[in-house]
Amino acid sequence: MNAVDRGSGEQRRAVGPFAPAQLQRAPVLRDVGRGRLEMRGVDKGFNGTETLVLQDISLTVASGEFMVVVGPSGCGKTTLLNLAGGMVKADGGEVLLDGKPVDGPGPERAMVFQDHGLFPWLTAAQNIGFGLRMAGMSRAERKDRVAEALRTVHLSSSGEKLVHELSGGMKQRVAIARALVMDPAVLLMDEPFAAVDAQTRTLLHAQLQELWCATKKTILFVTHSVGEAVRLADRIIVLSAQPGRIGREVRVELSHPRDFDSPQISELVKLVRTEIEDEVNRVNRKMAGDFWKPAAAADLGVDPHDMGGGI
Amino acid sequence: MIWEGAYRVIGWREWIFPAPSHVLDAMLGMLDVRTGFGKPLAAGWPLIKGPAGRDPGPWYSSPLLSANLVSGLRLLAGFAISIGLGGFLGLAMWRSKALDQLLGPLFLGLQTLPSVCWAPMAILVFGINETGVLFVLVMGSFFAIAIALRDGLKQIPPIYQRAGLMLGADGWKLYRYVLLPAALPAMAGSLRQGFSFAWRSLMGAELMFVAVRDHGLGFLLMMGRETSTVEQVVAVMIIMVVVGMVADRWGFAKLQQKVQLRFGLG
Repeated sequence: MNAVDRGSGEQRRAVGPFAPAQLQRAPVLRDVGRGRLEMRGVDKGFNGTETLVLQDISLTVASGEFMVVVGPSGCGKTTLLNLAGGMVKADGGEVLLDGKPVDGPGPERAMVFQDHGLFPWLTAAQNIGFGLRMAGMSRAERKDRVAEALRTVHLSSSGEKLVHELSGGMKQRVAIARALVMDPAVLLMDEPFAAVDAQTRTLLHAQLQELWCATKKTILFVTHSVGEAVRLADRIIVLSAQPGRIGREVRVELSHPRDFDSPQISELVKLVRTEIEDEVNRVNRKMAGDFWKPAAAADLGVDPHDMGGGI
Repeated sequence: MIWEGAYRVIGWREWIFPAPSHVLDAMLGMLDVRTGFGKPLAAGWPLIKGPAGRDPGPWYSSPLLSANLVSGLRLLAGFAISIGLGGFLGLAMWRSKALDQLLGPLFLGLQTLPSVCWAPMAILVFGINETGVLFVLVMGSFFAIAIALRDGLKQIPPIYQRAGLMLGADGWKLYRYVLLPAALPAMAGSLRQGFSFAWRSLMGAELMFVAVRDHGLGFLLMMGRETSTVEQVVAVMIIMVVVGMVADRWGFAKLQQKVQLRFGLG
């Protein structure tokens, strides 16, 4: 199982002074001033612009910043991320990466999906190497980079495993490695830890923080979990729902790496959670107000106990 | 055993319903081996002395083997055409919604038509020849392949495409490195279904196209009927089932299993 490690070790010796060890550190230097993501007055609608999912979104993620967008479900968080990733096009406004407009998906804006999106016909190592292979990198060079990426996410012994042989947390780590190995300008993360158990999640939070400290990548992370947001973020933006608009902004001025059990974190969680709950309540009232008419339901001859019957 | 015993004790009429020993006789007979398993026990049983009805040639030219060979070659050729045609149309229907709406219901309808029903048309259009047989085979199987492939492709999670694009697999690379491998379970399934359709269509076609020069398994079955040798009829039916089952179990099911194991679906 250590075949990957040993193999890459030999590789490194063979390559000699053109040391990948230096290459590995290079991204940190290169990232200075790289990865500034900007959205200017972005609108995005359903069926054209009939119902707006996102309205007038303007935000800037600074280079090397860890920004988390929180909001109730259905507020357009994922759409926001897809816009940044170039998976969908904005109906109005513009999305810029380092001053250049984003058009179409690409490896400089690598995404980690909620349900990992790893290719089941490839092994973990092949999944990580996929993007490099598409970029036309030679097998030998790829092997080295993949081994390094596997080490970064602490999966060196699992490189030859197939996707379905990995646990949920391991899958997400492979997905993160697959994105990071492309040396992206921005890392986009769409509720990546929503599907793993709480214990694994805490572990993954710590690892992600460690990774971020090491690489200083710009990260745009969306989640519905306030706790997660406060643990990880430099800056939190609360997204309101229907249509999604930028609400309050909270700066988390705690040094990294963080102690997740510290009282400051609990304090902040409470604060942001109140904010979000207000928003959720507002949305629910709005939605319920639209069709919750018990008296009218009885008039129409609909059994109030079976109102979902015709759906 | 019970079947054989019932025949021997009660004395069922062998020309109406044969005993297993008669079927065995017929099978070996079609391999140009003459035995007398079905004859009453006597000195020297089951070895038969005396001249054969037909001058037996070498084993490889026996009717059964050559029929299997002929049917096998027809299947290979017809199935290849079906895969090509069905694969192409399945893919096209997956990509183009308009084409799917145009051809989808038509194909589903035609799939319910028993394939032998294409035979009269094939005879009129192509005549009684190999082309006609192939036509029936292809018509009987390619709809199923196209539909199964389309359905399988539709089930590819869209996230694979997004992940592929994100990692720089665009244009033909997306097809070659993402969509094609993602479609493997669908393809394995459609091949397996296509084969069972193709085999049944071929057998049906060979029953109708007895007058074609080369003789397949269907011909042997029909000859059994013509010469009222019911044991040959049963023997050929058993062989048809065995050939179809072996190809399915040991060929296509294995392939499908392998793909599903890889994908963690099994």
